[in-house]
Parts: sequence; C-alpha cells; structure tokens
Amino acid sequence: MPSALAPPTPSLTTYLRSLDEAPLDKSITTLISLLKRRQIRSSRSCALATTKLLIRVVEAGEDGSDGKWSSTQALIAHIRTVGRKLISAQPKEIVIGNIVRRVLGVIREVADRDSETVADLSGSEISGPTSPITITGERSVLPMRLSEFSPRDVLSGRPGTADSVASSTFSSPAAAPQQRPNLMTAPTGTSLFSILQHPQTQTRSTSSPYATPPAGTQSPALRPSPTFKSTISTIPEGGESLDIKAEVLDGLAELLDELSVVDTQIAESALEHIHSGEVILTHGSSRTVQRFLLTAAGKKRRFTVFVAELYPNDHLAVHDTLVNGSLPPVSPEDEGLGEKGRWKALTAAGVTVVLVPDTAVFALMPRVNKVLLSPHAVMASGSLLAAAGTETICLAAKEHRVPVVVLAGVYKLSPVYPFDEEGMVEYGDPSKVVGFAEDGRFIDGVDVVNPISDFVGAEGVGLYVTNLGGCAPGYLYRVVGDHYRNEDIELGRD
Amino acid sequence: MSEKVSSAAQAQMAEEPKLSPAELKKRAKAEKQARRAAQKEQEGAPAIPPPTANGVPHGQASQHDEVRQEKKAKIVQAKSVQQSKSSGSQESKGERVAPSSAQSLPARGKTTVAAKEEAKVDSTVVELLSHLYPIQRRANMSGVSKDVHPAVLALGLQISSYEICGSSARCIAMLHAFKEAIHAYTTPRDTSLPRHLVSHYLSPQIEYLRSCRPLAESMGNAIRWLKKLIIEIDPDKPEHEAKNLLSEEIDRFIHERIVVTDQAIAASASKQIREGSVVLTYAKSNIVQKTILQAHAQGTRFRVIVVDSRPLFEGKRLATSLMHAGLEVEYVPFSGLAHVVKDATLVLLGAHSMLSNGRLQSRIGTASVALRAHIADVPVIVCCESVKFAGKVALDSIVLNELAPPEELLLPPSHAPIVPTNTKDTPEAAESNKTKTLHDWASIPNLQLLNPMYDITPAEYIRMVICEYGSVPPSSVPVVHRLANEGM
Repeated sequence: MPSALAPPTPSLTTYLRSLDEAPLDKSITTLISLLKRRQIRSSRSCALATTKLLIRVVEAGEDGSDGKWSSTQALIAHIRTVGRKLISAQPKEIVIGNIVRRVLGVIREVADRDSETVADLSGSEISGPTSPITITGERSVLPMRLSEFSPRDVLSGRPGTADSVASSTFSSPAAAPQQRPNLMTAPTGTSLFSILQHPQTQTRSTSSPYATPPAGTQSPALRPSPTFKSTISTIPEGGESLDIKAEVLDGLAELLDELSVVDTQIAESALEHIHSGEVILTHGSSRTVQRFLLTAAGKKRRFTVFVAELYPNDHLAVHDTLVNGSLPPVSPEDEGLGEKGRWKALTAAGVTVVLVPDTAVFALMPRVNKVLLSPHAVMASGSLLAAAGTETICLAAKEHRVPVVVLAGVYKLSPVYPFDEEGMVEYGDPSKVVGFAEDGRFIDGVDVVNPISDFVGAEGVGLYVTNLGGCAPGYLYRVVGDHYRNEDIELGRD
Repeated sequence: MSEKVSSAAQAQMAEEPKLSPAELKKRAKAEKQARRAAQKEQEGAPAIPPPTANGVPHGQASQHDEVRQEKKAKIVQAKSVQQSKSSGSQESKGERVAPSSAQSLPARGKTTVAAKEEAKVDSTVVELLSHLYPIQRRANMSGVSKDVHPAVLALGLQISSYEICGSSARCIAMLHAFKEAIHAYTTPRDTSLPRHLVSHYLSPQIEYLRSCRPLAESMGNAIRWLKKLIIEIDPDKPEHEAKNLLSEEIDRFIHERIVVTDQAIAASASKQIREGSVVLTYAKSNIVQKTILQAHAQGTRFRVIVVDSRPLFEGKRLATSLMHAGLEVEYVPFSGLAHVVKDATLVLLGAHSMLSNGRLQSRIGTASVALRAHIADVPVIVCCESVKFAGKVALDSIVLNELAPPEELLLPPSHAPIVPTNTKDTPEAAESNKTKTLHDWASIPNLQLLNPMYDITPAEYIRMVICEYGSVPPSSVPVVHRLANEGM
C-alpha cells in the first residue's frame, strides 16, 4: 500500500524541492537543521545541498531581492558568513567546508578575471603576476624568461611594455599571436620578482592547466587567452557588478555539473584498474564504487567482489544495493541528484558478488588482488575519513601487500590539514548496536559506543582515483592547490 | 478397433524376424532400464525428508538431499519418457531409426538435466572455499545410524544450534556424553571390549557428531586420547571393571586438563591485569572470562572493553556476565575496533586451537584485533589449555576453516528495511518490480553469502601464550603439544 498520506520525512529531495520557493533565510535555516539532525547524511548529498543553497545565495543578490552585487568582496564576505554557519552545523561533515571553499575560489577567480580585464586596458603583461607597477604605465620589469615575453605587445607597438632588446631580437612579427597561444597561457612558474610581490596579486599563478576545466570548454592549450580576446573586442563599459553575478553563477553551474558527473568520470578509469579474474574487496554501498565496478563488468571483464557489510551503520543499505542495485525503490538521494539514477545490481552484470561479515576481511585478504574504498572525505595530507571499519581493512591490506585504491571525487578533497585526528571521528546512535527496547538493562550497565567513521593515515592508501584521474597520496596537495585558494582555508569563527 | 489391434499385432509379429541381434540386445537393454527406472521411482519418493518447521538452521544437508532427490526424479522422468517413446516406436512400422536415437536420447537428456541441477546448486558455493562445503549442520535426525546413543544425539543437536559453543565446553560435553554411551555399551560375545568398542561403537557416535558440526581441535585430541586408552585396556579385564576404569579416566581427563588447567591459567593471567588496566577482549572465551572475574575478585580495579561481531554476538553474553559481576564494561561492534584499541593496555584472547607454527586459530575477526593491537604496541596474550594445541600447521585462514550456514547472516524479518512502493507503477509493473531482499539471495544468480567461523592469527602479533605448562612464546607450541598430547 503506498504511504502517500504521511508527511514526507525531511531529506535531500524535499529540501531541494523547497529551495526554489522558500525565502532564502528559511532555506539556510532548514539546511542547518537538516545537517544538525543528520537527516542528510552522505558526502554527495551534503555537497549537493550546499552548492544549491549557495547558488540561491548568489542569485538573491546583496539585498536579498535578486539584485546585483556591488563588489566581489561583498559577495565573498557574505558567502563566508553563510559558510561558517553551515560548517558549524555539522563540523564533522568535511564536504560542506570543501564546497564553501570551492565557491569562494570561483568568486575569486571571477574577481581576478575582472581585475585583469581592467589591467589589460592599461597594457600590462598578460601572463605572469599582474604587477602594480605596470598598471600605472611605468616601465615594466625585464622579463626573466622568454615565456613572459608577449609578442602581442610587439604587434600593438606599445612602448615601455616590451623590452627593447627583446623587440629587436624578435624581428619577425609575422608569427601571428594566434599561432602561439600556448606561450601566452602556459604556466609561468615563478619568476624571482614574484616572491617580492604581495601574495594577493599572485592569484593568477595558481590557476594551472591541471585544475578542473569547466565542463564543455576546450583544453587550455587551445583556448585563446581571455584577456587577448578582450583587447580586440570592445570592452563593456562599466556594469561590472552584473558580470560578477552572471560569471559566478556560471562557475557555480560548472561546479554543479562536476558533482553530477563525478561518478561517470571516475568510472572511466575502471578499465585501467580491473582485469579479468581479479578478486576485489570492497565495503559499503557507495554508488561510486558500484558504478566503477559496473563499468568494468560492462566491458566483459569477469571478476569476483567480496563486499564487507559494515555492520551496524551501513549493512542494510549494502544488502539492498547488492540485491537490487538502484532499481526501485529509488532512494531519496538518487532522486535528488537528478542523475540517470538507475543502475542494475552487480550480480545482474555477471559479477560474482560474495557478501561477507566485516570480521572476515583479514581471513580473505591473502586471496584479494585489490581493495576498493570510497571515503567520506580526503585530507590534503593523503589521509582519509571513511566509514568505521575501513582502518581494519587498510591495515589487513598493508599486511598482505594488497594495493588499496580509493575512489573519491575532487569535491571530497579538503585543503584543511587534519591536526586533530581523533576529533574528526563521528559517533552515532548506540541503539543500532544494542536496542534500547530489547536490552535496557544492558545499556544501563554497559557503555555502548558506535563510531561511524574511521581516520586512516596516508600510508594506508596506495592510489587515489579522482574524477581528474589517478594520483598518489603525495600528489594530493597539488590538486588541492588547483582548486582552493590559500586565503579561503581559514574561514574564521562565527 | 480390434482390427487395428490385430493388424498391429500382426505387424509386430511380422517385424520380429526382421530385428537383428543387435536390435534385440538394444530392446532388452531398454526394458532393463525401464525396470530400473520404475524401481528408482518407488525408492525416490519416501527418501525425500519431510520439511521441518524448525528455525533457521534447517540444514544445508537436508536442502542438498532434496535437490539431489529432485535431480534423480527428473532423470527418472526423462528416462521414462524416452522409454515410452522408444517402446511406442518399436510397435509402429518402419521406425527403425527411432529406437537407436531413443536409446541415445536418455543419456543426453540425463547430462543436460544433471548439469543444470549441478549449476543451480553450485552457484551458492563460494569457489575459494569449496573444500569446506557441504556445510555440516543438523536440525533433525534423518539418516542417523541406530547405534548412536540418545545422549550423543541430544549433544549433537545442541552443538549444531550453538547452545553449546566454545571448544572447551564442547569437549567436556562430548566426554560426558561418551561416558554415558560407554556405560550403556555391552560387548558382543565373540570379541573383546578394547577391540570392538572403538571401531564399532564409538565411531558412529563420532561420525554423527561430525555431521552436526566439524569437530573442534580439543575434541579431536580428547578422542585420540580416549581411543588410545581403550585400546590399551587388558582384554581379559571384566567388562564392568573396564567401563568403570574408562569412566574414571574420562573424569580425570576433564578435571586435570580442563578444569584445573583453567584455574591455573586464570591465576597466572590475572597477574597480568594490573591496577588501572584497560583489558580488551574479543567475542567470548570462557577462560578469559574466568581470568577477568578472578582478577576482579582479587580486588584489582580495571575496566574491560568487549569487541563483538556478527552473527553470533558472543561478546554480548560476556559483557552481560561481566556487568553482573560489577565490572566497568565498554561494548563496541567490530567497526569500533580502531576507536577502542588506542585506549587498551592489554589484549586477552581465547583460542579454538594453537597451531604448531605458532599461529592462533580463533573466532573470525581475532586476527584483525591482534594486528591492530600489535601496531598500537598493546601486548596480546592468548589463554589456551594444552588440550587445544594441535600438530597442524596453517599459513592462511582458508584451508583450515569451518563455514557456518549463510542463513545466519540474514537479519530477522523485523529488521528488514521497510520498502516504500513506487506509486506511479501500475499494479502489473509493481508485481514484476517487486523488490527482493537479501532473504532471496539463493535465487539471485552470482550472489553468495560467506560465513566463515575461524581465522588464523600470525605468530608475530602474539606476545605470549599462557597454558598449564606456564607462559610460553608462540614458537613453543609444538613442544608443549608433544609433551601434553603425544605423551613425549
């Protein structure tokens, strides 16, 4: 019998539906209470809810009535306030902080682009750090390397921007700038002058070609410099605040896209990691892992998967996923994500799946070829926060020299260094272990603890597979640097 | 009508001389097969065990029996169909080809039917551990030899349903049951007790116990000791004296090697529990429980962490009994292991058996506990009577193991998640999309459940083994085994 008459339990789906109609303040409060009560649980749901809420915040404008933003600084300050509230609602959910910092990063990038547009009008260097000196039209610094040299300046014949020596050597202006876009957009590295500069103006250098490219754009090598384009086209007069909102919303739409295609992108590397006849150990009901394995199974690779059921927090979801895939009933999280949320169970794809209790991990590990895990969050040091029981699996894997592969989208990657490891572990409902009703006396006399997450050090992990490809734990700091800004890491206290 | 019959008969008569000797042979063979098939059909029906209404361990054994009977019945059916077809074709004219093809058809039909049945059965078997199937559990008395004593029968069922769990407990219970069985034994006229008792009386009891659950190492050692004892009895000794002797010796064995040993081990191990200790233990071991209770009785103040696991939840019973004794107990599921090990100062583990390469065979999950403690520099101490020491060696937990029925992993129906129906579906679609739960696992191809009972902990993780011969390092296990179990 359908239970359509009961009011829907608050969840991601109901929240997302209400986001469009409800006033902004109410939406913020609702999300805070959903997070506090842990009615939104998984990393991806939290990320999605946070992103959509922040999109609403940007859309609402400075005065809250869909108006403009006077400056990027105002927008940044506002997002920081909202972000602080969300993070303090559930400090153990690292992904919320990640999304807030990504949004701030998008805004700062927009701000930089705008300030560069302004800077270009006065003919400064287009690559390398924007120097305050060049904006005022004074003589520019001697370029240290050829890549800082801009042939465009030679063509436009602006004095004082190009080195006279360089212009004489570069006697063939026939090489049209269009044929050398890679020089203009290549990373400059750091010239010695840059270390003397104020760090805030160095913002341009952190955007490297390895950062998440906005979905649908070309690769950096082919993309012409945006500022180059702006010099040959007419510069829009004033109206900077209109640009801010539209451009930020563009950036946030790209972020939202990234969240929805994370699984597909991660699954693209499935064939590089799984061959036929393998035995894989995994745990939990993570959608990412299921899709990863399904992709390999779809390409006719025959392998066996041992699944640890993660009692007492995740085992029901694991049982359901193994039996049904995501066939009906569709979980509220799948609905809210708007993906083609239907995928069949691994067993239907021809994969042999063996459900084992968590205790059997060490016993089976000698026969396992690799371990696949999906964490709640990943730290910049390479360590991760995952479901309770993960550390047991990683230790057993290390003992038997079995490689551990962690599948995580970049949105799970946090720039915050985990100084307080124990403080990051979340504890859950002890009644899942021993029911209050059945064993009241037991609960009275015995201290029942139910940790939900485990902290696993970086040495436990062999490889991270993100939506940008695979990387070793030691390289994560670079990925962090590509997506977050240093000034956003400290969001201050409320 | 009669014309047809007579003409058919005439045709048959006319056919007879035309049949070559080869054809005659084939016909005789067909008739013999038909007779055998009819016999099997009669046999097949009563051998199918009646379905019992007992609880979960309905027993893989009976399930397998049923499938095998089904298989036989299907083969029988196929054969009989083919036979009737072939006999029919023999009567009609001009069907020379039919008999030979009908002869070969049953064989072909048999293999395909059998193969399909085999495939259906095997899909629930995890290939890696296929040597441990079929799973030995018993819920009823079907197929039991008539020699098995009622005390042993009852014991088997108790062991199978985990009412008696733990290798020391099973060993003591088995010896008591054997005592009763020996008491009820009478030597036949033309043989003597030492010669007859073991091979003709004890063996069926042991076989029955094995079919209820694979024997524990302690039980194996006790049986070897008992057999040796019986064989060394003087054949001229009168029967009642011999039986009294056996009874006394069994009592002495239990007393010396288990009861007193447990007291000695508890006294020795409780010295390891100091003031302010945090003792971590896993699942439920009788000897560890005794140790903890003794230390508590001596007045030491300490607290205990009990780590538990699915599906047996033995740790809960330990935690309850310790709580009733007044101890401060913390109870975590297995996923909480990493959280509690950092607080522990001592890990006490029980054993199913100690292997001769220093490894510990104990409840599944013990290896992870020992590894985690070893990494955190927490000493791991195993309390184990010498009766559990084995001469076997093992390198992994896969070859020497025992599987429990996968049904034990299924949650009771009240715990199954309530599945909301999709209101948009039409009634027909809803029926076909009816969601399955894990309870339907056997019908889902490629899905298997695995429920191993033991695992092997490498010797490097164990600091010390406490037995009645003292506190020894794990490498001394074969020495103690020779001393205690092989009398050298």
